[in-house]
Amino acid sequence: MLKHTIKYEWLNLLRDRWVMILLILFLGITVFAVRNGKEKVEDRMATITKEKEKMGKLDRRMAAEIDSLNNNLKPAPEPWQDPRALDNIGWDAPRVVAMDAQPLAVVSTGQSDLFTHYAKPKIYGEAYTLGFSELSNPVQLLFGSFDLAFVCIYLLPLLVLGFSYNVLSSEKESGVLRLTLAQPISLYQWLFGKLLLRFFILTVIVVASILFSLTIFGIEWMGNMGAAMKLILLVTVYIFFWFLISFLINLLGNSSGSNAVTLIAVWVVFVLLIPSIISQTANSFYPVPSRTIMIHEYREAKALAEKKADEILKTYYREHPEYAPKDTTQQNQYSWWLGNFAASDVINQSVQPVLDDYNEALNRQQNWVNRLRFLSPAILLQDGLNDLAGTSPTHYTDFRNQVIAFANTWRHYFIPRMFNNEKMRAEDFGCLPTHSYSSAQVPSHYLADLMGLLFFLTLAIGGSLWVYRKNRFENVFSV
Amino acid sequence: MILKIALKELKEIVREGRFRITAITLFALLLAALFVSKSYYTSVNAQHSEAKKNARSEWVEQGQKNPHSAAHYGTYAFKPKYPLSLIDNGVDKYTGVSIYLEAHKRNEAQYAAAQDQTALSRFGDLTPDFVLIFIVPLFIILIGFNAFTRERESGTLRLLKSQGVSTWKLTMGKWLGIFLPVLLIAIPVYVLAALFLANIKDYGQFSLWALTLLFGVYLIYYAVFINITLFVSSLFKKSNLAFVTLLGIWMVSCLAMPKISTAIADKLYPYPTQVEFEEQIAADKKKGLDGHNPWNTEAKKLEEETLKKYGVDSVQQLPFNWDGFLMQEGEKHTADIYFKHYQLLKDTYVNQTNVYRSTAALSPFLPTRFLSMAICRTDYTSHWDFANAAENYRIELVGKMNGDMAANSKYGDWDYLADDKLWSSVPDFQYEPTSYTTVIRQNTSNLITLLAWLLLSFAALYGAVTQMKTI
Repeated sequence: MLKHTIKYEWLNLLRDRWVMILLILFLGITVFAVRNGKEKVEDRMATITKEKEKMGKLDRRMAAEIDSLNNNLKPAPEPWQDPRALDNIGWDAPRVVAMDAQPLAVVSTGQSDLFTHYAKPKIYGEAYTLGFSELSNPVQLLFGSFDLAFVCIYLLPLLVLGFSYNVLSSEKESGVLRLTLAQPISLYQWLFGKLLLRFFILTVIVVASILFSLTIFGIEWMGNMGAAMKLILLVTVYIFFWFLISFLINLLGNSSGSNAVTLIAVWVVFVLLIPSIISQTANSFYPVPSRTIMIHEYREAKALAEKKADEILKTYYREHPEYAPKDTTQQNQYSWWLGNFAASDVINQSVQPVLDDYNEALNRQQNWVNRLRFLSPAILLQDGLNDLAGTSPTHYTDFRNQVIAFANTWRHYFIPRMFNNEKMRAEDFGCLPTHSYSSAQVPSHYLADLMGLLFFLTLAIGGSLWVYRKNRFENVFSV
Repeated sequence: MILKIALKELKEIVREGRFRITAITLFALLLAALFVSKSYYTSVNAQHSEAKKNARSEWVEQGQKNPHSAAHYGTYAFKPKYPLSLIDNGVDKYTGVSIYLEAHKRNEAQYAAAQDQTALSRFGDLTPDFVLIFIVPLFIILIGFNAFTRERESGTLRLLKSQGVSTWKLTMGKWLGIFLPVLLIAIPVYVLAALFLANIKDYGQFSLWALTLLFGVYLIYYAVFINITLFVSSLFKKSNLAFVTLLGIWMVSCLAMPKISTAIADKLYPYPTQVEFEEQIAADKKKGLDGHNPWNTEAKKLEEETLKKYGVDSVQQLPFNWDGFLMQEGEKHTADIYFKHYQLLKDTYVNQTNVYRSTAALSPFLPTRFLSMAICRTDYTSHWDFANAAENYRIELVGKMNGDMAANSKYGDWDYLADDKLWSSVPDFQYEPTSYTTVIRQNTSNLITLLAWLLLSFAALYGAVTQMKTI
């Protein structure tokens, strides 16, 4: 019997204009969203490619110049322009350390509009001053981008609610419900079946639209089946959660209008209110430590270290005899730089506690906020999507650390050569250290986010069972 | 008659559980937002004044130095937080809070709060503006979507007609019936905000007039939403459909349109990337005077001209320190380059702003958002104004350092040291925000768009209800 009613429902839905409208609407929105994401990712990759090409060109030009200088084809340039001097290479020919986009980066803009995606650390300079902020119109940051993540987090639930808010109430209002329940079927199963059918249709529409949009914009999802499946799974679970909420509200047996209002209230709470409340309270009760105060402490520590530099440097040379200026007959052309590195090491060591304290405070705040994400399925989905797209804050922090680590590698490539008073040779350009970005060590939130969403599913199912048991048929028939 | 209908509507709305729950929630949210924002504002302000004090003492107590080294050491300009930002924080989260002022270089404001926060902050914060601009329109839809459909569904619309009530009077009554509860929520918030702001220590920046203007803008915005709600309600036969349609309108104008406009603005007038921008500046700098490099061709030319002007044949014979003079000339040159490039950037930003202004015709949310930020001085224009003031201060500061060096030391004498007398003779950075007259002038188009929304939505409502069928 249940089979029959569901089959009838299926035929009914197929002939409904709504399904067609929904399909077209959603497809249009998704294509637009993926196009926006694609544009951002393309810009990002184009800049990185351009930067790498520029670096290659500069390398070749410098190598050629070294060759012609060594063969005395050209007069020697001013010392600070001589490409044979290692310090000039370390300063003028930095490597491009780039954060390549993940295959699914188009899915979510995440934090990618706040930060640059490459850096060129030089032989000298303080890591903390490396700028990572991107130049952008803050109004755009405030409004956010129309990406797939926005479509899924905000708009999808509304589609689900629009598609299901009157599943039971309309039957009741048209009087068909009495007829249906005269059949030997359980209301709970019948309603669940109806919603399951709608869930199935909507999921097919959503998944097809997403995959279609990804395909037409040439995003390799088939080659990244794992990531694509993860994306679909996450979105499907989210859709199912909202269907269950609708199921629960329908079971309360109120009118269509009242269902719509209640469901919108639930949407407002989960998607708008809880995230904004958490975000705001985190700022007030667990404030981000002040950068301005940190800078002051940093400058003070630095000034102190500089004042005592001579004294500290002596101790430092005792500990690192390799840095100490050697009294040799041949003057090392890099002695100024070597002294400078030693001094900056000393200064960096003394200001490190300030930076560490700051980062620790920042971590505490972020960890706290991260834990609170389990309070709303919308935050969980956002977090999961950013994780898949490689645009989460953790990815950017990790990238910054990789840049700082590379800055060190870069400097330490030159230091031993400077001690030997070596010169840059044309063939050395091939063996300069390079960096290849990997996000492998970023701890993934995906599984935790999925679990969180499944927990919300369980809650919704439990809630609907409880409601069903509690008021059985009473409300349903009180028309 | 209108008043009677309004009172009847009001009674009906207040008696409904739906209204009571949402109104109480809304009010509680607003209160919470106000209190939380206030504590945030106070702590940020305390940090700001501490940072400002620190920067000044760092500058004054930097010890004996060559003036040009002092210019390199530099100082910081901090962006003040205005009292009204506790109502609308605008783009403050996304703009830096401090600008490092040093010789040869104009720096961008650094340390935007959003960069140190998690992705959660991208959902938005529970600030009063979030409730006032996003949630209150939803509340209006919630209490007004069935204003006409309900009467139609229960057949009372025909009854009312038979009583001889003009539909326009009926509509005005219903209009007031929705507007009054909104006002009832808005007024205490206004009063409370005024009390909070009046009790803030640096009262100087706050004007009650601005707060009143801000609430005026919000009330116009609400009136637009009430018009739209009643308009839609008068068109539909069924409450459900009216509700879903209104929700769609809310979603498009408050959620989708800002993002769609952003996509359009970004497509038409893209911002350069940070590195592109810096490289364009560097390329221009390379061509011109280099204050630190006397071999530069431009510098050579200047040297010849100066020598000729003073009738001497070497820089040592000049009555001032050539190094200091050359560096100041270089400084002027780089300042011009920065000015040019920032002007180009500003053109892009103005173009983007114009995109938002034209899409405002499709969403009453946009003009309200921009007006609100402008009045609270948390919009992008205010940030630009601050950054320009900081740049002017930087030019002045570096000029004073180079000038002192040129006047008081000899060529080649890099051992010349100045002390805190010179440092403290540089006045502290003071920033006066643009006057409200300018703010209003800059936002005339937003104001006009919002008023057009008000008039047109009233006209549409009038047209719809006068032709409304009772069945």
